[in-house]
Amino acid sequence: MNLLENIKMAIDSILSNKMRSFLTMLGIIIGISSVISVVSLGVGGQDTITGEFEKIGVSTIRITVKTTEAETSDYITYKDIQQLKEKISYIKYATPVTYQTGIASSEKKSRTAMVYGTNEDMQYIDNTELLYGRFFNNIEFEERRAVAVIDETAAKSFFGTSDAVGKTINVGPNTGTKKATIIGVAKSQFEMFGDMMDEEMPVIVYVPATYLDILYSKESKISELYIMADSKDNTEAAGILAKNMLMNRHGNRERDVYKAENLMKQLEQINTVVGIFTAFIAAVAAISLLVGGVGVMNIMLVSVTERTREIGIRKAIGAKTSNIMFQFLTESVIISCIGGIIGLIFGISGAYLLGQLAGITPSITPQIVIVSIAFSSAVGIFFGIYPARKAAKLDPIEALRYE
Amino acid sequence: MIKIENIVKVYTTGEISLTALKGVSLNIGAGEFVSIMGPSGCGKSTLMNVLGCLDKMTSGKYILNGKDISDLTDNELAEIRCREIGFVFQSFNLLPRMTILENVELPMIYAGIPKKERREKALAALERVDLSNRIKHRPNEISGGQKQRVAIARAIVNNPSIILADEPTGNLDTKVTKEIMKIIQKLNDDGTTVLLVTHEADVAKYSKRIIHMLDGEIIDDNKVIDRVVF
Repeated sequence: MNLLENIKMAIDSILSNKMRSFLTMLGIIIGISSVISVVSLGVGGQDTITGEFEKIGVSTIRITVKTTEAETSDYITYKDIQQLKEKISYIKYATPVTYQTGIASSEKKSRTAMVYGTNEDMQYIDNTELLYGRFFNNIEFEERRAVAVIDETAAKSFFGTSDAVGKTINVGPNTGTKKATIIGVAKSQFEMFGDMMDEEMPVIVYVPATYLDILYSKESKISELYIMADSKDNTEAAGILAKNMLMNRHGNRERDVYKAENLMKQLEQINTVVGIFTAFIAAVAAISLLVGGVGVMNIMLVSVTERTREIGIRKAIGAKTSNIMFQFLTESVIISCIGGIIGLIFGISGAYLLGQLAGITPSITPQIVIVSIAFSSAVGIFFGIYPARKAAKLDPIEALRYE
Repeated sequence: MIKIENIVKVYTTGEISLTALKGVSLNIGAGEFVSIMGPSGCGKSTLMNVLGCLDKMTSGKYILNGKDISDLTDNELAEIRCREIGFVFQSFNLLPRMTILENVELPMIYAGIPKKERREKALAALERVDLSNRIKHRPNEISGGQKQRVAIARAIVNNPSIILADEPTGNLDTKVTKEIMKIIQKLNDDGTTVLLVTHEADVAKYSKRIIHMLDGEIIDDNKVIDRVVF
């Protein structure tokens, strides 16, 4: 009695009751497909987040002023930033990051805006991909020029074209905007949200931080600073040195108002959270797989009862206990396996479909495929053993008498 | 060939126990054609089941082909059923989802015979029972007489030393009964030992020896004088 014979027999039996077999498989299909979509989207989401972070750069450190504890004199100044770059050799780039909300408008359209003030180093730290024009330079920063960089989505919205270089927008607080010449158009960053970036969302406008001060007519309190080390290995050290220097310059060592964060660490934290979240949802989905397994067991028990006479006949003509056991086990494994394969297909398509909506590329690894098939087989074995044993242990005479 | 000594079979259901065989001893030689007769409940089917290794006796000794098989395990008994014994039942007991050919091939699957050889042997067995067409049909598409021929082909396909037929003509009319008995007689002529359980005297007359049972005991064991031979 070989395996092939058994598989053929099992498939015959499954086909002889198509509707029932399909409904039994459905439990496994739903279980496997939901586990697969959740896991592949979760892993894909982590990859996307990692990607976004890597765009910013793994050697980036964010220094923030703890605004709740800080006094006015603790805030970072342009001079500080200049000194950091000059005195600490590990620091390659450093930029202030200040932002204000307001409006931005062209002749055609007016929209709410997030106005970011940085210096020229932002383009390297942020890894800004410019489609047209250029980022502002040091001179424009120093001279507080009225220039701006907007992203493609904003350019299209304001001027109906991506190439908005040379055009003028009005930008600033709701109470009074000022002109700024667009010198560059960057690739839209939050592609992750795709079409969600609709007209309701504020547009993002980068201007020299010095010009932002003019727009909002105050000397800005810089509470956020990005630095980028010359190499990944020096990142940690650059952060510590920068923090030290700031404390020396402001003479506030005893109050510890600066916080240096490695973005890589944050990434790890986010990934851990996403990982836990994924595992949790996957566990919930796995319960449906368990329920599917119980369904397989249930139908196999019905099948054993229905086929009592067949079992008696098989035993009478020489089937051993193990033959009968194996026959029914093969059947439950095949049902679960086919369910697993269909579930895999549905799971992958579902993940891509949902991923399209959420802007996440699902991560389908060979492991996911192998594990899901192996797991559905295991479900088949686990939930098939009891019915198969029951069939195998039937007394041949009683089984033959069964009507 | 078959030698049983003092076989006792007791069925116990809860607190009630029923002695179906009260110490039966019997010798059946190779090539014999024996009928077992008796009223319902006399123990003839029980005896048949014990001889067919489907049921275990409570006590006694069973020697088949010179081998003591009184205390074999379930799997060892399955092996004997597979190779030494062919069953023919009153209700045919064919598997409805399989074709006739597949039904006949089934015992050989359990005997581990390769597919090609199975096909040849199954065709040969069907030839012996005069059923060479309709072999791709399913059991519900053929007549009762044809079903019983398929069952006989299935019983002989592994070349067993004994055929056990439990009321093989019980569900068949007189004409078909004759056809079936003719086939069984022919198998016996070819050297197969046949054991037949029946309560019809006309059917028993096709055999060479008749054993009468009553209340779990053999009461009579005679040669058939007026045997019907085709």
